[in-house]
Amino acid sequence: MIDRIVGAVVFMISVSAFWVARGYEAGFGDPLGPAVFPQMVAGGAAILSLGLMLRPDPDPKAQSRPAMTRQIATLAVLVGYVLLLEPLGFPLSTTLGTACLALLFGAGPAKAGVTGLAVGLSLFVIFDTVLGLPLPFAPALFG
Amino acid sequence: MDILTSLIGGFAVAVTPLNLALAVFGCFAGTLIGALPGLGPVNGVAILIPVAFAMKLEPGSALIMLSCIYYGCMYGGRISSIMLNIPGDEPAIMTTLDGYPMARRGQAAKALGISAVASFTGATFATLGLTFFAPLLAKAAIHFGPADYFALYVMAFATIGGVTGVNPFKTLLAAMLGLLLASVGLDPGTGTARFTFGSFHLYDGFDPIVAIVGLFAVSEIIMYFESHATSGAGPAKLGRALPRLREVFEGFPAALRGSVIGFICGVLPGAGASLGAFVSYSTEKQISDKKGTFGTGDPRGIAAPEAGNNAASGGALIPMLTLGVPGSGTTAVMLALLVSLNIQPGPLLFERQPDIVWGLIAALYLANVVLLLLNVPMVGLFTRLLSLPQWLLMPVVVMVSFIGIYSISHSTFDLFVMIGFGLLGYALRKLEISLVPVVLGLLLGADMENNLRRALSISGGDFGILLQSPIALVIYGFTALMLMFSFGIAMRRRPDPLEG
Repeated sequence: MIDRIVGAVVFMISVSAFWVARGYEAGFGDPLGPAVFPQMVAGGAAILSLGLMLRPDPDPKAQSRPAMTRQIATLAVLVGYVLLLEPLGFPLSTTLGTACLALLFGAGPAKAGVTGLAVGLSLFVIFDTVLGLPLPFAPALFG
Repeated sequence: MDILTSLIGGFAVAVTPLNLALAVFGCFAGTLIGALPGLGPVNGVAILIPVAFAMKLEPGSALIMLSCIYYGCMYGGRISSIMLNIPGDEPAIMTTLDGYPMARRGQAAKALGISAVASFTGATFATLGLTFFAPLLAKAAIHFGPADYFALYVMAFATIGGVTGVNPFKTLLAAMLGLLLASVGLDPGTGTARFTFGSFHLYDGFDPIVAIVGLFAVSEIIMYFESHATSGAGPAKLGRALPRLREVFEGFPAALRGSVIGFICGVLPGAGASLGAFVSYSTEKQISDKKGTFGTGDPRGIAAPEAGNNAASGGALIPMLTLGVPGSGTTAVMLALLVSLNIQPGPLLFERQPDIVWGLIAALYLANVVLLLLNVPMVGLFTRLLSLPQWLLMPVVVMVSFIGIYSISHSTFDLFVMIGFGLLGYALRKLEISLVPVVLGLLLGADMENNLRRALSISGGDFGILLQSPIALVIYGFTALMLMFSFGIAMRRRPDPLEG
């Protein structure tokens, strides 16, 4: 069933991509133009998605609820980490991010804290100091 | 003789102290990455590409380090197959069949020794093949015109699913998705902004490295909670650390056969290391399994697939280097690396940048020796590292990939794009849609379009030129055959409702 839905979604995406590409104007003296290739691909995708709708595979196994909670939490940590990376600086945000991830992957709070601190600091030293890759230190605290 | 001179020149490039140190580091890191379940060669190489940039390495040195990681992964995959019954990476699946039973019988050291020698045999055979065969193919490929290249790309996409029996609609759709993603950004031919939705961040299109790390590494993290929820039995005992020399060579004839088969599988489009290991194992089983010992811990059942998978991964470098068309996930990532280093693989690479190609080939010979030395006496260290807790390993992997991507452009936008690709990768994996064609499409889309454009400017806009060259026609013919074959297999597998 899910394959049919995916097929339908891909079909709509490819048809609209085909439609959007139609508006790209041919450059002067260019034999191909910017529209033809995306349209070839989108057309191919549309036909294949019809195939997927007609011959779907059996549905994949749904994940258990705790697994899904952890997956969503992991995503939230990753997004939060990126949002905080520049304001909080690399060492602090990485310490927090690593500790949260370690918790999600089953470490105890103490172990997670130590891991976070160790990873946050050592990666900063390796990349910023040793490899000379400038990483934000702590802009929110020191401007 | 020409080849030998070039190879000696290559060794001169590879044997600088820095490059040697990078090769040893790459071999060690690669074995480790390959051995740890869940971190395959694609992830390992993809995550370490930005790190290699951050180290500001010369293109040749970066290439040497990452190729050693690539070869190292293929050696390492067998360790967890044998010790834990969990393949460290996909090509090592066949090694679990006889490797784990041997380890359970207390012959773990013997199994690891045999498989190390088999890996060495396979990889050396493939590197020899690369040395002599790749320049020939490059010479032949010089005669390819734009229309032939276009045909070659069509073949690469149509055959990437190979004969694996996965729903071919899905594989082809994945390729189209990759090609569509490749057309995001400014069109190189005309400067038109395509599918950017007014965002300036998208004018450069998607960086393949960002996409690859997202698709493979980030999705692996999300997938982890489903696939590794239940852990198997503990590792088997290693027993005596060093196997006897005589025991190690027990599987040598099987390894030789596996090498030849694996190498051929590697060179063919749409195959790669997993198929190499599979075909080597099943062929060896037909040749040698007279007493039904295969699957219960027969040394030849380890030697053949290990030689096969290593030979195939070496062989897979041939189409990638000479034609610029990778045949497997890891070689696609290697291509992404070359492109980001401003090295354009293809027949001209051998003429224009011989020091890079031959330096790489020489480094592969060195990597093999280093890997054999690392993998026989030091295997105990790697098996101990297998018990590293996941809560330590996974966060470190995440953080290293985030730093790597951040270091490319110092923009958090790239990190969000990477997380987005991670979600896409997760969804595709759940739907059993292969990620490799997506990456291939993203990588090769621009080149495919350029070759189409060049062909059309030769013919003055007539699409007929695509079918006029005999080379292109042969390629299309082969493509059609492969497609018929894979659709045929898929249709026949259909009635089995138990297939997941």
